Amino acid sequence: MRMDFRLSEDWDEDFADMATVEETDLRYYVAQGDVVLGTDQTDLSADWGWIPLVDFALALREIADALSESEGSETFEFTESEATLQFDRVGDKVVITSSYRPGEVTVPFSDFRKQVDEFARRLDKELLQRHPELGLNPDYQRLKLSRSH
Amino acid sequence: MRAWQFQKVPFVFPALILFFGAGCMIPIAYGQGVTLNVRQQVVLTRWALRHIQQRHWPDSPAQGAGKFAVGITEESLREMINEAVANGRPRENTHGRPGEIYEYDFGRPIGTTINGSPASRLRVVISTRGQVVTAFPF
Repeated sequence: MRMDFRLSEDWDEDFADMATVEETDLRYYVAQGDVVLGTDQTDLSADWGWIPLVDFALALREIADALSESEGSETFEFTESEATLQFDRVGDKVVITSSYRPGEVTVPFSDFRKQVDEFARRLDKELLQRHPELGLNPDYQRLKLSRSH
Repeated sequence: MRAWQFQKVPFVFPALILFFGAGCMIPIAYGQGVTLNVRQQVVLTRWALRHIQQRHWPDSPAQGAGKFAVGITEESLREMINEAVANGRPRENTHGRPGEIYEYDFGRPIGTTINGSPASRLRVVISTRGQVVTAFPF
């Protein structure tokens, strides 16, 4: 399974001081881009350019946490549409489907967990490289994108 | 005397509305500490308006986002948001996002979904400060 992101180029023009951006802005307006998600056979990517990637990383981490405890289903709601991603834990696997593309992706839960954590770590690293002042932002720090699991 | 009585009406009438209207205002709290008043209008900042226009206006090129129908204006958007917040179904925002979500079905098309189908519902996200974060048809 591939889980990756592509940061859009123009979202940061609206934020003069990344050190003071608040949590709601971080989860709705900052670090927008595409989500790459799928396998060689199935593509569930959301390549709309506006996905708030910090929010996506945090939400998927919460989903992985919830699914780590027991079988069940979790739904990710995109911030600007009715589109959803569905995550179903079945035994030691996670089945991922979407409301906007056909097909499903089945992946061992351990791989899913690892990919989710890697996604957040890579995003954190890239954002801090682009905007070191985020390191001074208390709301961004509190979200702990690069937490160790 | 007659003139005085007529001049008094414009003052007394709004005062009565304020007096009796205040009794109808019922504070309601929904999760995460946001307290909204069912009669209170939420705040639509210039920033949020611009965000909604960029993503959800009829001529917006943004893909994968619900669109308002042609003819939407800033004023009609404000009216729809206020109606949705006053009458819609509230729920906590999902997966740790701050704020609340209000969803309301207008019973008529107000725009289109991401696949171009008619949309009659409005989803409004309200921050913990009572400000609109985003709003879109679905």
